[in-house]
Amino acid sequence: MSAVVPAAVLVLWELCSRLAIVSPRYFPAPTTVGGVLTDRVAAGDLGAALLVTLTRLAFAFALAAVPAVPLGLLMGIARPVRHVVEPYLAFIFPVPKITLLPFLLIILGVGEPAFVLTGASSAFFQIVISTLAGVQTMDPRLLDVGRNYGAHGLRLFRKVILPAALPAIFTGLRLGLGLALVTLVAVEFIAAKSGLGHLVYRHWQMLSTPEMYAAFALVGALGLVLTRGLHALQARVLTWQEDLGG
Amino acid sequence: MKALGRWLTEHGTTVGSPIALLLSWEWASATGLLRAVFFPRPSTILAHLRDLALDGTLWGHTAPTLARIGWSFSLAAVLGVAIGLAMGLWRRLREGLDPVFAVIYPIPSVLFLPLASFMVPAGEVALVVTSAVTSFFLIAFTTTHGVRQIDRLVVEAAVHYGARGWRLFATVLLPGALPFIFTGLRLGLGFSLIVVVAVEIVSASRGLGALLWLSWQILKVEDMYATFFVIALLGALLSYGLAALRARLLPWVPDVGDPR
Repeated sequence: MSAVVPAAVLVLWELCSRLAIVSPRYFPAPTTVGGVLTDRVAAGDLGAALLVTLTRLAFAFALAAVPAVPLGLLMGIARPVRHVVEPYLAFIFPVPKITLLPFLLIILGVGEPAFVLTGASSAFFQIVISTLAGVQTMDPRLLDVGRNYGAHGLRLFRKVILPAALPAIFTGLRLGLGLALVTLVAVEFIAAKSGLGHLVYRHWQMLSTPEMYAAFALVGALGLVLTRGLHALQARVLTWQEDLGG
Repeated sequence: MKALGRWLTEHGTTVGSPIALLLSWEWASATGLLRAVFFPRPSTILAHLRDLALDGTLWGHTAPTLARIGWSFSLAAVLGVAIGLAMGLWRRLREGLDPVFAVIYPIPSVLFLPLASFMVPAGEVALVVTSAVTSFFLIAFTTTHGVRQIDRLVVEAAVHYGARGWRLFATVLLPGALPFIFTGLRLGLGFSLIVVVAVEIVSASRGLGALLWLSWQILKVEDMYATFFVIALLGALLSYGLAALRARLLPWVPDVGDPR
């Protein structure tokens, strides 16, 4: 049932393109795009571009998550830390992170570190904010119960605070990964000379539209797999708490 | 005076920390500890910001950005709320569109620029349409969710008391979904800004994104910082301003946070 509408859209597109109702130059038939997609995957260059994007994404995500989760937890536990860091979070969070790219480009030079860090920055702020929210919105009764049963300090943190904040942390990681992908593909589109985002840009400029749509479809599939996969993982790993978002 | 003292003890670190950072940045750049080429002194940046504002450059680039945000947000809001409501009300439509949306939504919005430039006149219209894509999905998702989370009992009670069709929609369903619609609009507005700036970097000669990118290309670092500051200010204004506006105009409508 759920595949009916997408299938109908594809069939309609195929017909319109084949019958030249829409310009096949700009809207090549899905079967043409599919053919190019398999050719390019077989030739290896599409896979190589995917690998470049995935590698950048992995580095960006790790660079964001490793400092962001502890910082968010620390801000949730220690009020002075929160007061010091909060104004910067509030200032930077609504800013499009792609605007950090030119700054990183002049400081680090044109290259991978600047690209990856731009992607990392967009995930970083999301993860910090979600983690902080997870600690702040936990049921205070849990803390009381934990204390009454003699948990203090590290024990209270490990046995009560961390498990309570874990669903929010996971949601933050999931959203952060999505944001990092979006920002990285935009960076590739704008500045990098490799990766899926750059592939879409290059084929757009050369008007080789079947290749453009093939790269486009691959980005869509990547986004779908990441968001769906993490959702499923979250549901499996954190069975004791309902997801903070649907 | 007493109130000021109390306010300061409460918010002292929050206000003091940025001031301390700016002062030490000023000092470090002046003494050469930070390379002034990359990190110009805040006072220099401020002077450049004033110059840009006085000779009209800044407004010349801010006005197109604001207009694009306005257009793309309006487009996304009208379509998003309408389709979101329809998807919330009719199960068949929702089941049909959900898989399509699920595939398209995670695609980074900048990538829609080539597609949009094939479908509508390239240039300004394509830019606005591209910037509307992500906001549209966000608003549609939250609106659908808003309709669906309405308590069945409330709807049944309304039907029982004779509310049908338009009346049921206007007096029960729409007010019930309103908090979610507002959250969707707030998030959508934020995303409009993000995508407009990104697309301006790629393909516009005017606008704050274009100014930022141009300043980088000719290595006017002070102008880069000044532009960044204006974009950040705009972001803060849009996200916190809208939240404050909602709190004032619709105090009974709670903000439900990000339901994604």
